Amino acid sequence: MAETQGEAMTCAQATELAAGFVLGALEPSEMASVRAHLSTCREAHPEFEELGAVVPVLARTVPPATPSPDLGDRILAAARAEQTKSDEAGARAALQPMPVPVPTPAPWLIGQRRPWAGFLEVLRRPAWLATAVAAVLVMAVLGAWNLQLQGQVSGLTAYRDGVAAVLDAAKASGARVAVLSPAAGSGPTGLAAVDPAGRLVIAMRDLTPTTGAQVYEAWLIGADNKPVPAGSFAVGPSGVGTLAGSLRGAEAGVVVALTLEPGPGATTPTLPIIVQGRAGSSAGVIPGPASGL
Amino acid sequence: MTELDDPVGSAMTADPDDRDQADLARLERGELEALEGLYGRHGTMAYSIALRITGDAGTAEDVVQEAFLGVWRNAGRYEPGRGSVRTWLMAIVHHRAIDSLRRRRATVALPEGTDGTTPAVLALPDVWNEVAAGLDRDAVQSALGSIPTRQREALELAYFAGLTQVEIAERLGLPLGTVKSRMRLGLLALRAELVGHRDADG
Repeated sequence: MAETQGEAMTCAQATELAAGFVLGALEPSEMASVRAHLSTCREAHPEFEELGAVVPVLARTVPPATPSPDLGDRILAAARAEQTKSDEAGARAALQPMPVPVPTPAPWLIGQRRPWAGFLEVLRRPAWLATAVAAVLVMAVLGAWNLQLQGQVSGLTAYRDGVAAVLDAAKASGARVAVLSPAAGSGPTGLAAVDPAGRLVIAMRDLTPTTGAQVYEAWLIGADNKPVPAGSFAVGPSGVGTLAGSLRGAEAGVVVALTLEPGPGATTPTLPIIVQGRAGSSAGVIPGPASGL
Repeated sequence: MTELDDPVGSAMTADPDDRDQADLARLERGELEALEGLYGRHGTMAYSIALRITGDAGTAEDVVQEAFLGVWRNAGRYEPGRGSVRTWLMAIVHHRAIDSLRRRRATVALPEGTDGTTPAVLALPDVWNEVAAGLDRDAVQSALGSIPTRQREALELAYFAGLTQVEIAERLGLPLGTVKSRMRLGLLALRAELVGHRDADG
């Protein structure tokens, strides 16, 4: 890895790297520094536009070639399969919320906002049973925790659906589940499931909303430490993001990680890693027929 | 070629990009049939780029499939002000293809982290979209052929072989600064040539 240039790049330094940048030919740390500069600097950078506009033209020099006649049909079939899968997961989630362990307090507890009111009543009426007070206290704490972590009900529904899809994928024989969280401190959290067929399903909450062409890109990092892009998704104001991606050859001991990329199609992760987690056996995490190989 | 890369009579009919944008809007609503339209108009070009970069028909088809699925999943992320749908799509194909190439190469030769990140549909304003769209392959090739060989080589190693400036410098045994300079001059020269073509074509 090349030495980091730091975030505080000057316009002149960024401009010097413009040609390499628009061609994607800089080292990863340089790419990241230029991106950071362009996304924060208010000055115009005409050189990037001038040079960047030429790059797509290069694609027009390629010799024409004809793909298999059925490629278009295969693409449509793959999209339909993916759409059906996510529809089914969504429908199931709507019908039966699944009480399962997640890294942060379960979203369905958000409905327990009332314990606050109950708690206040308890204070006014000290004659209530101590056990009831204790129970209400527990619920109040959980409720407050949830409210703090996740305030938007629509986001919660989306997240719950996403979690249901993850759990669905986790039921597959040999599937593995990863709890996704920041390397340190608090921040976005979520769940991912990787099944042996290469299906990767992710549900995330508390992500910073994406802007413009930005996407969160999921990466699978196998034993060779090479991040392989596994799909991307955008995130709205709710902070919830879900992904149903697929790739071949999901390896044992795989780490799932998310980064924020300026657009779809990233080939290497733009640091920092937002969240990550190691996919382990789903047995013990998810109740159900996930045992056995 | 069955595809009309630059539909004949496009000046008289609706802008192809309007159809592309309409298809993107349909995709965003979950109407997958819109993929047929996009693929019909751009599938051949997408495949041609993927094949040129990966050099393998199977890999190229995988790249094209992933790119179109990526377009579907990210249809809402397209910004009309930043270039045509076609340019956006081809950038995704290009990045997927380079990605595939770099992954393959990484397993053979490259130590960790030496592959550069591509600008990932960086969405630089494609102010030249109309200019480029008005040029056929021969015109672009002729323009590329007319810039200094060493500059062309630097551009091609980056764009088609997915090499970083550092890798190109190593491969060619040149100082890094020389490679950087060739890339920049090459892009500027190509731009100037293309403008010349456009002016000549009237």
